[in-house]
Amino acid sequence: MTCVELQESLAEVEDGTTPEQRAHLRTCPACSALVNDLNLIINAAVGLQEAEEPSPRVWNSIETALKREGLIRPQKRAGSLAHSLFAGWTGRWLAPAAAMLLLSAALLVHNRMQTNTVSEQTAFTVPVPNPSDLNDNDLMQEVAENAPSMQAAYQANLQQVNESIRDAQAVVDESPNDEDARRSLLDAYQQKSMLFELAMDRSLP
Amino acid sequence: MVKERATKLAGIGVIVASTLVAQTRAEYHFAVGPKAGVSVSNPYGSISVKPSPDNRVVVNAVLHSDKVEVDRNQTGNRVDIQSHLLAGADASSGRVDYEVQVPPDASVTLHCSDGTLHAERLHGDVSLEGAAAAVDVHDISDAHVHVKTMNGAVTLSNIQNGHVEVDSLSGDVSLNGVTGPLVQVVSTSGRINYVGDFGNSGEYRLTSHSGDIDASIPEWTSADVSARSVRGEVHDDVPLQPKAHTWFPLDKGRAFAGTVGRVALSSTVILRTFSGKIHLSKRSEKQ
Repeated sequence: MTCVELQESLAEVEDGTTPEQRAHLRTCPACSALVNDLNLIINAAVGLQEAEEPSPRVWNSIETALKREGLIRPQKRAGSLAHSLFAGWTGRWLAPAAAMLLLSAALLVHNRMQTNTVSEQTAFTVPVPNPSDLNDNDLMQEVAENAPSMQAAYQANLQQVNESIRDAQAVVDESPNDEDARRSLLDAYQQKSMLFELAMDRSLP
Repeated sequence: MVKERATKLAGIGVIVASTLVAQTRAEYHFAVGPKAGVSVSNPYGSISVKPSPDNRVVVNAVLHSDKVEVDRNQTGNRVDIQSHLLAGADASSGRVDYEVQVPPDASVTLHCSDGTLHAERLHGDVSLEGAAAAVDVHDISDAHVHVKTMNGAVTLSNIQNGHVEVDSLSGDVSLNGVTGPLVQVVSTSGRINYVGDFGNSGEYRLTSHSGDIDASIPEWTSADVSARSVRGEVHDDVPLQPKAHTWFPLDKGRAFAGTVGRVALSSTVILRTFSGKIHLSKRSEKQ
């Protein structure tokens, strides 16, 4: 099992307990660290108190996303919400793309943190060859179809956010232990993810 | 000449009249309980939310044509309002302007693409999102305030004890009198301007990749401040007690870190930019 195969397998069994996963983790410190981090997050999530319940905005976003995906339906009221804004939504790829973007960013930063300590980790590659170009054409095509008047604005912002990713990436490469740089890189990816989200929302009409 | 002018005026009159005729007003009322949830989604147009005097949600909508209608739904303590664009609607004919009154403790979610989002005098959570939407929020207390925009300007004023998160790609962000346990602004190229005292015991993180960051604080401010610009400049006009140890290099002109005021009451203030300028200044103001 390669590092990439292990990362893909984590979608099914995230704690790394299959025989194949265990065999790979024994020989790969980078993937082992990744799985440890995931388990840490899972354990921390279990320990969350009710007092730390997310804001209603989170539930709203989840509800909206579920409606968009057709997994739940808005309650009908005499021909009103049945024709909701979401009915004509065509940018279904954008939500997973945005999520993938963030996941890639997290993996990327995680990878950068490890590369200077273990030489073997050069094999640990992020499954996104050039994150700053991820789905950019699709994004702009979506905007062109659904919000042509906003095309220039999206293009300009996309360019800026890609530049910010490259800049932050360069600083991380230069100083892998610089916490600010790593945070800046994550911020930049989150900004790009937000751009995808906004494009998705913009396609609602 | 006179005839031409009269013809033009008549033409303008017809356009204005047809616009006025096409506009319709609608008003909807919903009875809700404490801590209701109210969501308004409006592709084109503005949304303004103010407190209502009782436990009712009142929605006043101005529809700019018959190519848009207002869908509304109440499920228990939750009210959802959506502008529903009909065939052929565009940014002009699909426009709806909303004025909404909600109980002050309601949680509000507003969404529009290119109008104005406005909320004031509430103490429930407020979430506003819009690509080109200009956002104006003031007089909010004890609540989450979350804002997401692409290039719309964001203005937050008098937010007390807030959990504030602003994400904007290129819109300028202005915070005036915004305090709370967490105040965070992340921008790619927008300017960030903070005027206030950073409260106490909160975390204030203002970050812009290429935009400038200006923070203006009064004399009584207590804060643990660190500022850093990777490629730009930093300036401070505030006497800081320098920190003995920082985990990043304090390159002259590119970073500073120190404490102002009383340490015991201080908030943590983090100002970061890649290529923008950071300026921390003191202003004279009566407490």
